[in-house]
Amino acid sequence: MPDPALDPSLRAGPKALAVLVASALIAAAFVGYVLYARGFFERTQRLVLVAEDGAGVTVGMDLTFSGFPVGRVQKIELAGDGKARIEIDVPEKDAKWLRASSVFTLERSLVGGARLRAFTGDLEDKPLPEGAVRPVLRGDATEELPGLIAAMKRLLENLEHMTAADSNLNASFASVKTLTERMGGPGGALAGILGSEENARKVITALDRANATLASLEKVSARLDGMLGKADEGVFGAGGVLEETRKTVTQLNAALAQARESLKKADAILADAQKVSASAREATTDLGALRAEVEASLRRVSALIDEINRKWPFARDTEVKLP
Amino acid sequence: MLATLPGRAARGLVFGAEALAAALSPSTYTAPVRALAARQLCEAAWDVLPGFVAACAVLGALVVRVIDSTARDFGLAGYSLDLYARLVVLELVPLFVALLVSVRSGAAMGTEVALLRVQGVLDGGNDPLRAELLPRGIGVAAAVLSLTAIGCLVALLVAYVGLYGFSPWGHDAYARVIGRVFAPAVMAGFALKVAFFAVAVAVVPVAASVGGPRAMDSVPDAAPRGLVGIFVLLALAEAFSIALLYA
Repeated sequence: MPDPALDPSLRAGPKALAVLVASALIAAAFVGYVLYARGFFERTQRLVLVAEDGAGVTVGMDLTFSGFPVGRVQKIELAGDGKARIEIDVPEKDAKWLRASSVFTLERSLVGGARLRAFTGDLEDKPLPEGAVRPVLRGDATEELPGLIAAMKRLLENLEHMTAADSNLNASFASVKTLTERMGGPGGALAGILGSEENARKVITALDRANATLASLEKVSARLDGMLGKADEGVFGAGGVLEETRKTVTQLNAALAQARESLKKADAILADAQKVSASAREATTDLGALRAEVEASLRRVSALIDEINRKWPFARDTEVKLP
Repeated sequence: MLATLPGRAARGLVFGAEALAAALSPSTYTAPVRALAARQLCEAAWDVLPGFVAACAVLGALVVRVIDSTARDFGLAGYSLDLYARLVVLELVPLFVALLVSVRSGAAMGTEVALLRVQGVLDGGNDPLRAELLPRGIGVAAAVLSLTAIGCLVALLVAYVGLYGFSPWGHDAYARVIGRVFAPAVMAGFALKVAFFAVAVAVVPVAASVGGPRAMDSVPDAAPRGLVGIFVLLALAEAFSIALLYA
């Protein structure tokens, strides 16, 4: 019988068993831990995101909310409509962060992988239903780069054209420089605008002449004013046309009154003549005196009318109709 | 030499298959076999366990520090644990364990088989091989599996402490990364690779010695020959696994 103290196989048994058991436990525990870490024991709800392009999305990648992972991509497939269908498992304990109004984005940065992010504006909104299908908005920094670079290239080319020695901008600056130099000269801004000092002098001379002309026009205007005053005086002043006309009308009234008186007398005489028609001879004496008086009145009226016509040259109708 | 390579490889393959079949047969595990296997496991694993755990902890701490600081410099600190788990746990620790066990125990087994062969003990068939070397091979293979499990555990613990300290609040992030890295396919590939390493470390030195020249002066060459065979196989297996995982 071997000595147990000397036989290594007898002492090695428990140690070997301990090593084997420990290893088996470690392996089993690790498998269990990985299953736990992969969410195998968690109750989850399914969320389906539909993206135009699923590049960069991998199974196992996280869906983050405020930087914290709240879901994990379980499956990616090309849907019948040609879009990428990303199926995500969201643990029920994290589902509260995703609401019906949540927005999902797929971002690809220059460094690192793609990121799926969720944004929830209203945490009081209805919860996201099981199996909800949502579109993914894309935020791709790299995709915009080619366009950005092309735009920058065009911009730089334009800038290069603008800053070239024979560019329009340079020519404009040279013109502005010439202009400012001229403006700084004796002719001032006018010389700058008109191109030379000679032209500026011409303009100044023209202005002087215009000033002189204006002064003389002012004198003419003053004289005209005087003439108008005189004309006014002549028409409306004492002894003017209106005054004379008023006098003439007064005279005319008096003459007409005289004529009316004369005609009344004639009427009375004619009545008398009718009464004394029997004695024609007596009547002929009276008729001779009457006729002389009527003629005298007529002459006065005629003279008066002539005078009016002379003083009132615009009157057309010079005929005096007698009754 | 090159002409004999395929023949030796074929002989080694047949030998390995026979050994594996014997190891998987329950009837093999008689009391003496169990005792011998346990002794070999003790020699290969238990005896080196403190030093091995310390080496794994130091290696893990160094690598996690290097990876984390570099990743932080590039603004990719979120990928530190991912990279560490893939590099250290999935690749370095199994390879390190296989090399350690093969150098410590595989070389000794190869030398012993070469001596037995020179002495003519193996002339009567494979029974002495089965009685003496199979338990030792089983012990060596079990040592590879055990040390790999312990080494990976130590490396993962060191990674947690190195990245998050002793705070429990890093656990969620840690668990997510571990869950992401160790996908079912990765786990299966890892298990297959470690099993292959264990078989290779147990079988190759013996197969190399059995197929080697039968002369006393060739005995010292048996161990290096076996080790070279193991290194080549490990390198091929590692390259194949990486190609499968990342290509």
